[in-house]
Amino acid sequence: MRRITQGDIEQLRRRISIAAERALDIHEPAGGPAPRRPPGPSRFGALLLAGEEQQSSLGRFWLQEHMVPNDRMHGTIPVGDLQSIPGSWLSNISDGEAQPVEPGRWAFLDTETTGLAGGTGTCAFLVGVGAIETSGFRVRLFFMRDYDEEPAMLDALSECLNQYEALITYNGKSYDIPLLETRFRLKRQASPLGRLRHVDLLYPARRLWSERISNCRLGTLESEVLGFERHDDVPGELIPHRYFNFLKTGNLAGLRPVFRHNVLDLVSLACLGAVLMPAFATPGETALRHAEDMLGLARWLRKKGNREDALNLYRKAIRAGLPPRCLFASIWESARLEGQAGNRRIQVRLLRDLSRVANPYRASAFEQLAKHYEHREKDFRAALEMTRNAQIHAPSADLDYRERRLLRKAGEHAGAGTAKYARTASREATPARASVTDVASWGDRSKTGR
Amino acid sequence: MNLKLNPENPAARGRRQALAPISPPDDSLDGVIERFEALQRRNDSPVGTIRKLPAREPRWVDFPKELDGRLREALASKGITRLYSHQARSWDRIANGKHAVIVTPTASGKTICYNLPVLNALASDPSACALYLFPTKALAVDQLEEFNSLGTALGSDIRAFTYDGDTPSDARRAIRRRANVVLSNPDMLHSGMLPHHTRWARFFEHLRYVVIDELHAYRGVFGSHLANVLRRLRRIAAFYGSTPQFICCSATIANPKELAQSLSEEQFDLVDDNGAPRGEKFFVFYNPPVVNAQLGIRRSYVNEARRLAESFLERGRQTLVFANSRLVTEILTRYLKESVGRPPGGQAAVRGYRGGYLPRERREIERQLRDGEVLGVVATNALELGIDIGSLDAVVMAGYPGSIASTWQRAGRAGRRNAASVTVLVASSAPLDQYVFEHPEYFFDGSPEHAHVNPDNLEILVSHLKCAAFELPIQEGERFGPHDTGEICTFLEETGVLHHAGGAWHWTSEAYPADAISLRKVTSDNFVVVDIGGGSRVIGEVAFPAALTTLHEKAIYLHEGQLFHVERLDFKERKAYVRRVECGYYTDAVEHTQVERLEGFDDHSLGAALASHGEVRITSRVVGFKKIRFHTNENVGDGKLSMPEQEMHTTAFWLLFPTSSLASLPYSTTETRDGLVGLGNVLRTVGAVLLMCDPRDLGVSTSSSKDESAALLCPEIFLYDNFPGGIGQSEPLFRMRALLVSMARELIEACACNAGCPRCVGAPGEVGEQAKAVALQLLAALASEHQQQQAA
Repeated sequence: MRRITQGDIEQLRRRISIAAERALDIHEPAGGPAPRRPPGPSRFGALLLAGEEQQSSLGRFWLQEHMVPNDRMHGTIPVGDLQSIPGSWLSNISDGEAQPVEPGRWAFLDTETTGLAGGTGTCAFLVGVGAIETSGFRVRLFFMRDYDEEPAMLDALSECLNQYEALITYNGKSYDIPLLETRFRLKRQASPLGRLRHVDLLYPARRLWSERISNCRLGTLESEVLGFERHDDVPGELIPHRYFNFLKTGNLAGLRPVFRHNVLDLVSLACLGAVLMPAFATPGETALRHAEDMLGLARWLRKKGNREDALNLYRKAIRAGLPPRCLFASIWESARLEGQAGNRRIQVRLLRDLSRVANPYRASAFEQLAKHYEHREKDFRAALEMTRNAQIHAPSADLDYRERRLLRKAGEHAGAGTAKYARTASREATPARASVTDVASWGDRSKTGR
Repeated sequence: MNLKLNPENPAARGRRQALAPISPPDDSLDGVIERFEALQRRNDSPVGTIRKLPAREPRWVDFPKELDGRLREALASKGITRLYSHQARSWDRIANGKHAVIVTPTASGKTICYNLPVLNALASDPSACALYLFPTKALAVDQLEEFNSLGTALGSDIRAFTYDGDTPSDARRAIRRRANVVLSNPDMLHSGMLPHHTRWARFFEHLRYVVIDELHAYRGVFGSHLANVLRRLRRIAAFYGSTPQFICCSATIANPKELAQSLSEEQFDLVDDNGAPRGEKFFVFYNPPVVNAQLGIRRSYVNEARRLAESFLERGRQTLVFANSRLVTEILTRYLKESVGRPPGGQAAVRGYRGGYLPRERREIERQLRDGEVLGVVATNALELGIDIGSLDAVVMAGYPGSIASTWQRAGRAGRRNAASVTVLVASSAPLDQYVFEHPEYFFDGSPEHAHVNPDNLEILVSHLKCAAFELPIQEGERFGPHDTGEICTFLEETGVLHHAGGAWHWTSEAYPADAISLRKVTSDNFVVVDIGGGSRVIGEVAFPAALTTLHEKAIYLHEGQLFHVERLDFKERKAYVRRVECGYYTDAVEHTQVERLEGFDDHSLGAALASHGEVRITSRVVGFKKIRFHTNENVGDGKLSMPEQEMHTTAFWLLFPTSSLASLPYSTTETRDGLVGLGNVLRTVGAVLLMCDPRDLGVSTSSSKDESAALLCPEIFLYDNFPGGIGQSEPLFRMRALLVSMARELIEACACNAGCPRCVGAPGEVGEQAKAVALQLLAALASEHQQQQAA
């Protein structure tokens, strides 16, 4: 077998550089060898970075600490608000698991990585852990100055996380946590993550704000909800590049904003928690300012089966003035809930409201009203009218079937009156549908009509 | 395609004639052979050779003692109470911890060779895992069923799943957590499993067997990629502390053991003593009779193949017809459907089968073949691979498949275990077919083709080393295959994708390298065919390059012999809207291909010529189409098309002959041109040997360009990498140019033929009578300087 020689590599290098020149690549051509830094710890001598080097049996890494004092405002939120969060709030927001965990035992976590591609070749070079302490919000940044510091950094991270019981992240469920699990496995270290109770705030944030805020990225919520504006922040997509550049040159200038970025992410994460958690913990008392947020919360409560609080919030949201987009949806949804709660009168009123103006639920409202009149009120003529109205907006085989049944029932009850009524109805609700011919096509339509 | 050349007319007459040589109807296959023999005795007989392959008795061996009782019972319930000798021998090799490569013909029970050892290991250790690799997704689906038919005997703890691009994402997690056996393909291993190996930690920790079926499919560049994927696999397995044992199965090729060893870099034991029984088999070479002696025009091989297939089908013989292109497959499907018809109340007796039919339709046809519900199938090489369709009475090949190995594999589809079967090869008028017909020993006594791979192709190697670094940092002094990785890693560090720290190289790029590397040249980009007559129903899919020639507007698209008119081709959305029609013609696209030099990286005089390597552009464009009437093959019209040009940038090695160097040759322009084509063929053959690639990985093209000074046309021969972007085969060819030329000369001189044959410059019908002589002259001109250099 022919061995790869230096000559082969030279050829490859030449081909690649020719191709690069040809393509007028903006990158500098891969010419001579890159400047190698001297090996060993001395290469960090010029590291002008706050914090200090840590050493363990697994090697060294860099640790930086910050304390955000309680009297600091993060946007409109005083950091001191974090002090008054009760431990039970964590349970309220995490859909289940009743055991409260004291906020002092919560670890907020966020990573900065070498890419978004995922897979084993992506590395978390900076891991920030935030914690609520009496004097303020404490942030520890675990930083690997080069790849050989990863084992020591991960080991120290484990040790740190072992002091906590819960882990709070933003999108950690699908990003940070699997990535760290992979890193621990690659370094053959036991992962501390499985032991911790994990709450990913992305999901409750989406529930509460998705009607009002177009994307629920942390950065967006930070300015929309917390009222905090960042200046000179490093865009997320540049972060991997900054780190690679640091590896190559040892130049910290590009990396310092990344540290700051991570600290701010953690403070925002904690403050968002302080806003989100009471909403989910005490929905009845929460002073939400935006009708859309009330709707989001109402929906979450409905899903959890908390009908009473849900209805209260739906009513509040509708009164507070929703934009048309979600107004009709919330009327429709609350009509259902009112029905389930036995408030038939309110339900019918809401459905009638929906049936009066053009909106996506109009036909469904007519159909629900038809059901109501047929089965509860036994008013077949009213039911027939509602059915025919529904047919105008969204004809279907089911409605045809209902119409025939109602005609029969109304006939049995009122005799000749039906025919007269049918005429009036058809004048109102043009065009009346020919019900006889539809019998033949019933089978077909039931397949395609819905 | 020579369909058009055939002046013979209508189907009706053709059909009457079809029955003439082989009628009257007879139920025994022996009668068929006797009629072929009688036909062979005539003057100018279309039957050239009848070769009888004798029946063979099975060789049985008792079940091995170690075989688990539950598996014994499961086998017994399938009617298996003993093993064939080759199955027992592979069991023995594998039980001894050896890597085994098993060469078996079709339908000899090869899956038992690997399923049994794997299942027996699972019986004693339910945590053990195995990875099965198949070249296609369809084969994996097929083999999952086969595996489960025995695997269920071990209870529900043993779980096998396919894992490929079709696996829904919610099922993937469960598979990663629970699978004992994963049936997948090299592409998925490369881009889906290895880069995420931490999620597969349990699987890799317990990985005991890697099964590679259809080993012969991994030749050339595809094989070179697989070899590197397997290097990565072994590396990851080692990280989790396992060293899997390899079990490979191959169809007959010249060098199965060598191929297995180069792919997996392990020592293999070869098992090739087939113990499965075989009924008597006849192989018949058939050449359509000449109808115009002056022009040397023969009857259409398509019609002849149809007539022969009909004669088998009419006797109720299950028959498989192989054609070499999609179009011929569809045309034959249509003809046979017309003539054989439908049994009363039954379904179609004849069906088509090719890539591009939807998977469900293909599964249905396969099952119908197995169950005997369908009598005849017309297929492309899509049925050549090991999909289980049972054994048939007869195989008719419309045209020589192009390689000895492929022909034997297709022929293997005929062969009952205890009854006679027949294979008929119908030669087309293509030179290669005619050559094989006239020289049956080339096929019967010649060795099947060698399969070559070159895992050390530098560009392929470097690509996979990037993936390897992404998967796990590369330690200093670590080897990748036989290579020290230091040099290449240093080089990759210069380009910025690797970073050295703590005695290892780490991946420092945001990119996911496996995404940038495709193991095959076929793109997954395809067009779907939507039937808009009555709703919109997707009836098939067509790979990108083929779509341009078969789905252009106004084309007739054939599906199972039915005709669809292409109303609109939505290039952006990759959709073709078609409508069912009945018209008497089909369409054949006219395509132009051109090679253009872009930039030379290096050149050097080579004798009288100039040798160079560099970048080229291959441009092809569908410029129009012809309408061709069924049965008569008359051209009944044509159309112009303005289809987008398809470009491929790649690298090439080329030779430019100044006109002056050819002027002195005593040959006509045509002869010289044929000689260049012939030389191109030889250079490709030799080039493939030197590069250890598959000849199809190298494109060859001859053209001429203007001489700068004299404005005369200078002929050129291009050997280009048949892959977008090139895969680094041209520079080595340039480096080895002297060797290339001298080996080409040796090859032609050593060839015993008079005026060219497929082994050297090509058959005379293809390259003329003088090609061999011209090629030798040209080689002499190329070698002159080489000799001078040596003398100096």
